[in-house]
Amino acid sequence: MSSLDWIVLVATLSFIVLYGIWKSRGKQNMESYFLGNQSMPWYIVLLSIIGTQASAITFISAPGQAYTDGMRFVQYYFGLPLAMVVLCITFVPIFHKLKVYTAYEFLEQRFDLKTRTLTAALFLIQRGLSTGISICAPSIILSSLLGWNLYWTNLIMGGLLIIYTVAGGTRAVSYTQTLQLVVIFSGMFLAGWMVVHLLPADVGFKEALQVSGKMNKLNVIVTKFDWNDKYNIWSGLIGGFFLALSYFGTDQSQVGRYLTAKSVRESRLGLLMNGLVKVPMQFLILLIGALVFVFYLYFRAPLFFNEAQLQRVYATSQGPALHELETQYNTLSTEKQQQVKTLAAALEKKEETAISTAKEALQATEDKAQKVRSEAVMLIKNADPTGDANDTNYIFLHFVVHSLPKGLVGLLIAIIFLAAWGSIAAALNSLASTTVVDVYKRLYKTEETPEKYMRMSRIWTLIWGVFCIAVAQFASGLGSLIEVVNILGSWFYGVTLGIFLVAFYLKRIRGTATFCAAITAQIIVLILFWQEKVSFLWLNAIGCLLVIAIALVLQPFLNRRLAK
Amino acid sequence: MSDKPLHEEKPPLFPSWTYWYVLVVAWLVVLIILFYLFTKAFS
Repeated sequence: MSSLDWIVLVATLSFIVLYGIWKSRGKQNMESYFLGNQSMPWYIVLLSIIGTQASAITFISAPGQAYTDGMRFVQYYFGLPLAMVVLCITFVPIFHKLKVYTAYEFLEQRFDLKTRTLTAALFLIQRGLSTGISICAPSIILSSLLGWNLYWTNLIMGGLLIIYTVAGGTRAVSYTQTLQLVVIFSGMFLAGWMVVHLLPADVGFKEALQVSGKMNKLNVIVTKFDWNDKYNIWSGLIGGFFLALSYFGTDQSQVGRYLTAKSVRESRLGLLMNGLVKVPMQFLILLIGALVFVFYLYFRAPLFFNEAQLQRVYATSQGPALHELETQYNTLSTEKQQQVKTLAAALEKKEETAISTAKEALQATEDKAQKVRSEAVMLIKNADPTGDANDTNYIFLHFVVHSLPKGLVGLLIAIIFLAAWGSIAAALNSLASTTVVDVYKRLYKTEETPEKYMRMSRIWTLIWGVFCIAVAQFASGLGSLIEVVNILGSWFYGVTLGIFLVAFYLKRIRGTATFCAAITAQIIVLILFWQEKVSFLWLNAIGCLLVIAIALVLQPFLNRRLAK
Repeated sequence: MSDKPLHEEKPPLFPSWTYWYVLVVAWLVVLIILFYLFTKAFS
């Protein structure tokens, strides 16, 4: 990075930290620290919800996903607006009416203490570990691309935000997330504009879209149903609905965001606006990836976007074979550069036969290039079995670092940090609120002074921050970290959602039946995972359905025992 | 938080929240149709 990039990066990050500290001023108690005195307007709630969900990986990985697989990933978000409606009808009014700090407090009022504590514990385990991994995932990519020390990158990625999160609690988190999103969206818009600007002079936005579409990267809607296909409209609507419902309805990192609203009305508006803007937002982020694909048709793409990994393999006995593949790949890239110009010219003249011929020729060369790339990936896997053989997360940042002008590189790197901070800060705040409200205050120190609870809230925010950084320092050897986060979520999300669905919709089921059902379902889910009986993606649905089914079967038996 | 009963909290723009829910679902349907046309237009 150039000096200008460093100045932009350091200035942006420092400004956010100082803004967070400034927003932390004033006397605080536990209500202001965890609920922001329930004073937030809907637009702050909206930006906070978006800032919590959109982690660094969202902005790193989504354009890479569109580059490799097209834009169909956007269908994954189709269930989200439907989940927002269900949340507004059922979850939000109940949480506000009961004036809870955490979602799990509701479970004690509906069931009993043991069910509340179990659900809070499941959340703490899952969110504590996955936040640590969320710190490590972007750090690995940045340290690999820019040659930074991984441990220091982890420390800055997860450490600086602790200053304002400990000092200001949820209010500082919400206001910094708002500012962070303004910077993030400005930077992403500039990046998208630059992709088109860097294309040859005769290729504009429309021509880039036409080429991308002909190469099947604008495949936003896939209507064909296939169990083995993760991203089609049906899996997006059904699977995405349950995933969004469990994430926004039962994960305190999100529940804590909309509980800060000054009324049910503001919470609902924040969530419904999220339902309106989230899908178009993801569409635009993915569109950048589809345009980056066009950029790398006109300019040579590397054989493997994680160049540090490539260099490691070059140093092994597989180096000469890899070099041979890279030579083949470069020759095919040169061919593609000619063919894409022919396709663009045919598209401009609107000559159908010429378009079809040029498209087929370009597609054939692209297929050959992909075959060479697959061979290279196999070779990398063999040469370095512990290394990351998936370079999807490196595609967008490779473009940023190697193609964008000075200053903008620093801004885009700052965006990765800010996106990470937004979601990590919300996670730390939710981990601390659950620990203090559902464990410390409820189980150990029920009659402390407000000042003592406030002090403990800050201490626990700090403890969870240190814990998550410690997890990040050990997480680098776990393989694909995105998958690890998803697996962790799938262990617990289904069971947690099952508990909440029973609470809301099955009024005759009591606490003991739900508690036993949740424990049994959790054990079965873990056994299924260890025995590799089903893909981890199905564990959410299985866990949820098991809790409901077991609770339904168990309750009549418990009723009969009580009657005796 | 406001102490007003929940049913008194009227939404902005519309007479009831049901209209907002319909708007969100209708917007999703419109987006899916537009995305479908976008996919067809550029494929």
